[in-house]
Amino acid sequence: MRTFEDDPALEDLLSPEQKERLDRLLSDLCTEPVRLSAQRSEGSVPVEFNLETIGWLTGGSREERQAAANLIGFIMMFVAKYRLAANLHHDTTEASYAELQRQNEALKASEARYRELSEQLQDKVDEQVRVIQKSQQELYESARLRSVGQLAAGVAHEINNPIGFISSNLRVARDYLEDLREMVPASPTNQELLDDFEDLLTESMDGTTRVAGIVSDLKTFSSIDQADYSICNINELLQSAVHLVQTEYHHNLKITERLDELPPVTGHPSRLSQTFFNLLDNAAQALRDSDRDPANGRILVQSRIDGARIQVIIQDNGCGIAEADQARIFDAFFTTRPVGSGTGLGLTVARDTVRAHQGNLEIESRPGTGTRVTLTLPMHGGQEP
Amino acid sequence: MPDFDADDNKLTLKVVFYGPALSGKTTNLMQLHSLLNPQRKGELMVLETRDDRTLFFDMLPIGLRGDSGLDLRLKLYTVPGQVQHDSTRKAVLSRADGVVFVADSQLSQQDNNATAFGNLEENLEKVGLDIDTLPMVVQFNKRDIPGVADEQDLQTRWASTPWAPLIMASALQGKGVIDTFKLLLDRLYTIINGEYHLERQHGINRQTFIEGLSASHGERYAHL
Ligand SMILES: Nc1nc2c(ncn2[C@@H]2O[C@H](COP(=O)(O)OP(=O)(O)OP(=O)(O)O)[C@@H](O)[C@H]2O)c(=O)[nH]1
Ligand SMILES: [Mg+2]
Repeated sequence: MRTFEDDPALEDLLSPEQKERLDRLLSDLCTEPVRLSAQRSEGSVPVEFNLETIGWLTGGSREERQAAANLIGFIMMFVAKYRLAANLHHDTTEASYAELQRQNEALKASEARYRELSEQLQDKVDEQVRVIQKSQQELYESARLRSVGQLAAGVAHEINNPIGFISSNLRVARDYLEDLREMVPASPTNQELLDDFEDLLTESMDGTTRVAGIVSDLKTFSSIDQADYSICNINELLQSAVHLVQTEYHHNLKITERLDELPPVTGHPSRLSQTFFNLLDNAAQALRDSDRDPANGRILVQSRIDGARIQVIIQDNGCGIAEADQARIFDAFFTTRPVGSGTGLGLTVARDTVRAHQGNLEIESRPGTGTRVTLTLPMHGGQEP
Repeated sequence: MPDFDADDNKLTLKVVFYGPALSGKTTNLMQLHSLLNPQRKGELMVLETRDDRTLFFDMLPIGLRGDSGLDLRLKLYTVPGQVQHDSTRKAVLSRADGVVFVADSQLSQQDNNATAFGNLEENLEKVGLDIDTLPMVVQFNKRDIPGVADEQDLQTRWASTPWAPLIMASALQGKGVIDTFKLLLDRLYTIINGEYHLERQHGINRQTFIEGLSASHGERYAHL
């Protein structure tokens, strides 16, 4: 590596043109031409500059040669001074530039580090917000579920007993009626009275059966006894959700069930029930909000096996979801309905529940035509008892 | 770092005169140029000064031949002392084998001495030299000016450093300049002989080294 202080060679000090010109100028002073060369040759004298032999001079007379060599040494000092200063300047400029570049690199690196940090910070904040939103939702939902469940459990418990003895009493009463037929004198009036009495009892027994059904649906829906994952029968959960929605809409909905036989699935029964109920409730509201004649509103509930997965499809021919709203339908608290008619959490909770079951929720909708929700659940683990 | 060229059997050493602006570095070198009469002595190159202040550096090459034909060269440099020329100072300091720190004895200049010494430490580190092992001599110059810092005080203050004793000088009058240089050569020899076996391989012992390079006209005449 050459530095500014390295002893300069002849070619560092003079370009070939300059050297030739110097030769000519010196030759003009001498009787014979003289020549400066980097190589030593026959009869040449050294040209010295600062303890260094920088070249060899030939030609001229003996005295002329020596005098010319001394003169060149003297001239070289000024050339070398300039070279040294120029080289030093070059060295320091380069060093400063390298230092500047290094600082620039360091600056860039630290800037990149800070940018990365700030991006990570944004990610962390976003993630934290998601966690908070999710746990808020879960808290809300579980509180709601728990209160609905507790209410349902209470109602079921309170109603189950009286319904039990009412229906058994009614059966006993009908037996007594048979006895009465034999004891009471056979007259047309008596006959009519007894027939009417029997009709009343039969109707009441139908009523109690229906009440018992609702109680049982409520129990399935709230799944009080199954707080955690257990084996679920998807079709059963679907049917009780359908019954509950019907109850809420006074049995005015036209719901078609097309349920294929399904293997049992491991899942969270009350959350799945809630999901089915939410989807059916959405469908029922979409029918009500539709411009179509309510008599033509239909809901289709399907379940089927699709490879290793179970598909549940809930489809309606209601109002559909406006394009502008479709991107936002999963936003927590987003609702297109008037304030007070729902929290808007329905679809978000549905999607979260399905995801928690390693499943998938897809929504296709066309405004004015209807909505089709396809819920896919994996079958794994469903075979076990 | 000494520069040894095995082909030419040439060893070049570099000594740098460092210190605050106007402390007398250039004056030291000019005095050495006129006082010294070493085996070989080149021209003193004074590079571009403005108002007598060094802009780049000054350089004086001197030399000595060993029995083995070793071509020993010593290049003496000064740096520009003015604060703004720091990058030049650093470039000149790099690869130094020895340093003469020329301090100004005037009381008003003590802060500048300290700043320049701090700058020397800093730049030595930047160019990869170790101040604790680098041969160095500290000279307090301008002793001829009245009311300068007391010598005894200065010696006491520096007594516990590797650079004691200090050399007192009046470069303007040529006093203490050669003493400073001789002490530097003495310290330099220890290091260079350890690395290049000057005595064993080239027949250059400490005395030859010091006297061969620092012989003055006065001494020469004394021998006659
Ligand atoms: N009285 C007195 N003046 C001195 C002495 N040595 C140097 N000076 C003067 O101090 C001034 C500066 O001296 P220089 O040798 O140029 O100082 P420098 O250290 O080379 O200064 P820079 O090149 O700027 O770093 C000159 O006017 C010298 O004559 C001294 O021993 N005594
Ligand atoms: Mg100077």
